Amino acid sequence: MNEPGRTVDFGYEKVAWPDKAKRVRAVFASVAAKYDVMNDLMSFGAHRLWKRFALSLTGLRPGQRALDVAGGTGDLARGLLRQVGKEGQVVLSDVNPRMLEVGRDRLLDEGYVANLQCIVADAERLPFRDDSFDCVTIGFGLRNVTDKAAALAAMHRVLKPGGQLLVLEFSAPVAPGLKPLYDAYSFGVLPMLGRLVARDADSYRYLAESIRMHPNQETLLGMLQSAGFAQARYHNLTGGIVALHRGYKI
Amino acid sequence: MPATPAWLASVEALLNRSISQSTQAAAAARRLHLTSLQIEIEGVLRVRAAVAGDRLALLWGGDTAADATIAGSPLALFDLLRGGTSGALGAGKGRAAAAQIQGDAEIAGRYRELFALARPDFEEELSRLVGDVPARRLSQFAKGALSWVRSARRIAGENLAEYLQEESRDLVSKPELEEFLLGVDQLRETADRVETRLARLEQRLRGPA
Repeated sequence: MNEPGRTVDFGYEKVAWPDKAKRVRAVFASVAAKYDVMNDLMSFGAHRLWKRFALSLTGLRPGQRALDVAGGTGDLARGLLRQVGKEGQVVLSDVNPRMLEVGRDRLLDEGYVANLQCIVADAERLPFRDDSFDCVTIGFGLRNVTDKAAALAAMHRVLKPGGQLLVLEFSAPVAPGLKPLYDAYSFGVLPMLGRLVARDADSYRYLAESIRMHPNQETLLGMLQSAGFAQARYHNLTGGIVALHRGYKI
Repeated sequence: MPATPAWLASVEALLNRSISQSTQAAAAARRLHLTSLQIEIEGVLRVRAAVAGDRLALLWGGDTAADATIAGSPLALFDLLRGGTSGALGAGKGRAAAAQIQGDAEIAGRYRELFALARPDFEEELSRLVGDVPARRLSQFAKGALSWVRSARRIAGENLAEYLQEESRDLVSKPELEEFLLGVDQLRETADRVETRLARLEQRLRGPA
């Protein structure tokens, strides 16, 4: 996978395969402090609804174990913690220590201590035993992963049989007439918001570009099926701006 | 595969929550492990229900063959799910109002049982969104409203029937109808008796053969 000369997308740019992870880490280290504010501003708060919808489909019960990959500031992990209760356990993992620190501090401040584990981990090489989680989520993280197929395979490996993977990610708009408006917003307004609020226009330009380079709904569905997920399907949210893909390990 | 609508995912989550809370429903689901049922509401939607373990999945569309298929109008399928008789399973195209089953009828019957056992408690679901007390009040209000609608519909029907029978005289009343039908029955019996007597008289007039 890591042969010399191999390149990968970093937004619209092509970079050497090992460099993408470093550059993604740099982007998120730069925006970590303002990440939540920016999410609210950029999506007009809709990201809360998208995450709430994802959480409504986990099927988790008290006492179960869940893993939030690329969990960043812990939005999904907080919902998972509520679902598994005090007897359950949630592992929040992220490749970026700065983002994880923000998420961990926030969850600790909210009183989640005993049943929360925070781990710096690469989604492609998850440091967990096989068949160890009832549900795995990855929210707005997969497009930043260098080798998506390896990440999906790793998430499949750590899921228990019967467990579910939920992938929440930006996707391709399908609602008629939405695409030109969405493009104008992504490339005009987002970098401006990034410059004004997070003082980092480039990182938010990368965000818009990485969304365009991310596999569309059907391609990602095929990747889930190739990774071994059964009953794989997806739900378009907000006209396809975001899609939730799901599949079971059987 | 086309996108599965978000509302279908919410219905699936609701049913799975009910299944996980009921040992009977979970057992019914386990009996259906790795089976599938295609539900086709004519001209409206096509949904595939599939079970793995004790978890139900609802998928939009579905091109591969399912173990069983139930097709029909929305009313027929709703009635079938409720266990009604008018939505009974039809075998031929003649019974347009009935739900049609193809494939393994036993699996279709088991899915019907699963859906009945997994019927969600709407007050419980509402309480997750708005809290226990408002959910109780909203539920009581909804029950009251439903009861009022049923009662209003019954009273309106009675008033209409009374007007048509007593005022406009377009319809006869039930006692009048029963009296008429009784008279028809008596006339038929009398006619039968006369016919028998005439037959006997004819036989006598012809004399012994």
